[in-house]
Amino acid sequence: MPVSESTAGGLSARLDELRVRYRTFRAEWYSTPLLLTLIFGVLAVLPLTLNLYAFGFSLGSWVSVHMLVITLVWATTGQAWNMMSGYTGQFSFGHAAYFGLGAYGTILLLNVVGLNPWLGMIVGAVVAGLYGLLVGVLCFRYDLRGHYFALATLAFAELLRFTFNTVPQLGGASGFFKPLPRAYADGYGLLAFQFETLLPYYYVILTFLIVVTAVSLAIKQSRLGLYLFAIREDENAAAAAGIPTYRYKLFGTTVSAFFTAWAGAFWAMYFDTIRPETVYDILINVEVLLPAIVGGIGTVLGPIIGAFIVIPTSEFARQAVDLPGFDRIVYGVLLIGIVLYSPKGVISWPKRLLAALEDSGLYESALGDDTDTDGDSSE
Amino acid sequence: MSFTLLTARGPLLQLLGSVVAPAAEPLFIRPSTLLQLLAFAVLLGGIYGLVALGLTMIFGVMDVINFAHGAMMVVGMYTVWWLTNELGLNPFLTIPVAVGVLFVLGVVVHLATIAPIIEAPQENQLIVTFGVLLILVSAIEIAFSADPQSLDVDLGSLGVGGVFLPEGQLYALVLAVFSVGVFWVFLQYTQTGRAIRAAADNREAAQYVGINVPRIDYLTFGLGAALAGLAGAVIPLFQQINPHLGDTYLINAFVIVVLGGLGSFPGALVGGMIIGFVHVFGQFFLPGSGYQIAIFLIFILVLLLKPEGLFGGGAGE
Repeated sequence: MPVSESTAGGLSARLDELRVRYRTFRAEWYSTPLLLTLIFGVLAVLPLTLNLYAFGFSLGSWVSVHMLVITLVWATTGQAWNMMSGYTGQFSFGHAAYFGLGAYGTILLLNVVGLNPWLGMIVGAVVAGLYGLLVGVLCFRYDLRGHYFALATLAFAELLRFTFNTVPQLGGASGFFKPLPRAYADGYGLLAFQFETLLPYYYVILTFLIVVTAVSLAIKQSRLGLYLFAIREDENAAAAAGIPTYRYKLFGTTVSAFFTAWAGAFWAMYFDTIRPETVYDILINVEVLLPAIVGGIGTVLGPIIGAFIVIPTSEFARQAVDLPGFDRIVYGVLLIGIVLYSPKGVISWPKRLLAALEDSGLYESALGDDTDTDGDSSE
Repeated sequence: MSFTLLTARGPLLQLLGSVVAPAAEPLFIRPSTLLQLLAFAVLLGGIYGLVALGLTMIFGVMDVINFAHGAMMVVGMYTVWWLTNELGLNPFLTIPVAVGVLFVLGVVVHLATIAPIIEAPQENQLIVTFGVLLILVSAIEIAFSADPQSLDVDLGSLGVGGVFLPEGQLYALVLAVFSVGVFWVFLQYTQTGRAIRAAADNREAAQYVGINVPRIDYLTFGLGAALAGLAGAVIPLFQQINPHLGDTYLINAFVIVVLGGLGSFPGALVGGMIIGFVHVFGQFFLPGSGYQIAIFLIFILVLLLKPEGLFGGGAGE
């Protein structure tokens, strides 16, 4: 027996053994909630480790708390977008509308009425939800699908941008400044939704992300989630099976809009000013959906993974190449690359890697194909 | 990102300035101003028509919404601007160059990004073309900065019976309307034009009667991009340009395409004229971006009352 064959066989056997162990582990331990708990645990301690030096190297020289905050903001919106567009397949290209309504609801009520930003956030989110409902009613009543729907949502977002730009009572083109916390609360703190350091902001947005993710997961694992996915797979068949598709699509739109507004409200309290261009810009529509697309549409983990790929990549690109607009080129390349080469998102890569390994003939499994036994995270 | 329609050049602005002042009584327009506005509305309507025609053609044939259409206009604008200012060419000679550049760009974009996923779900193509938009606009911004630019040459203005029209605007108008006509004849009476209309009408049936649909695809995308380039190329003649100028045109072109009926060629031209008029007269009479809000309200009304559009269903008709 030639030596090479036996070594190859040995490798296969070892890989198979690993896989059996992995499957046992998976069957006993794996569940999306557990994995999410683990991820959120890591995220909770991540900013604290930035200044730790190990082997003369610290994470802080690469990553700033600010970058983590921004990443979590877009992870939150991606998660919210996913609830509508990922689950039901109704591709929204106008989530800037809801993001902006959340931001403006908070900052406008704070400036004009002096309403606490937390209450303003709820008001903004409810308004955004209602706007989402309106968009949904207008579009779904006439059965707008695919392109028509994407265009309509974009137009509804742009309508808000121009409205806020034009109406002076809504801030006009110059928008609103964030007032000092003394003006409406007793100084910095949770009640004022303003903090002196970045770290508390990080935990606020992490909390938002956890809430949105929990809702997203709860929907996905419920009967409701089944209905939504049925609509995505084949709307006519779903309707024929007795699912009131119109109602469920409206539900998806409203919930998604409601939570997208949370991220907008956070944005308003995180930055100093809010202007129509900063929250209603066309680019916001992309930033909302990019994490979900890169990570994996319709998955709970996808938007989080996607955000941690997209935002740091564009930040690094911005730092490495001192050209205005270079980060947008990175976005563009990411969008095209993902859609052309991996439309199921990064979350499908481990499986693809395994498949590629088997195809290359380096490794032949004695076990069956396990693509069907994989967990729900990549469904 | 609101942009001024009328550049701060020539007597037009002074003329308008004198009329803008009594805007408190908006029903009063001087006949000369009315003519100005009409001329400008037809010009803008023609440009919108060109942009929307390219967009609706690509949609009709390939079922792809080209988000990069506005960015392709911007490439056309900057081609004309660069060739005129850097090489000192006559701006009218550079317009055909811009159209050629855009045709090639369109074909390349199609072959590189759309053709491989032509059978994929609609969202995928939408995302890809948006990626192309980001890359094109950012590349132009990096190359030429985000500052507004204008042509160095002064085209002067033409006075007809007390009405002054900047010549650039006039030529742009003639060119836009003429191109629409030429393209119309091309679609209506040439073999390739018929093939494009056939593919827009029914892709599969077109294949059955022996039309090479993949070839029609890249021709359509190239021609659609060339139309966007032409529309963009005439814009520097009468307006300052910047890399983000395409966004507004893109959005309004979408409105036009829905207004006229997705995939309908006459719908794009008629819709273009309608939106051109709403744009120009709305900008004159309404405060701020009111004209843009009016355009969106039309869009929503169309969605509500006649979602198939004015000329709906007649793809390629």
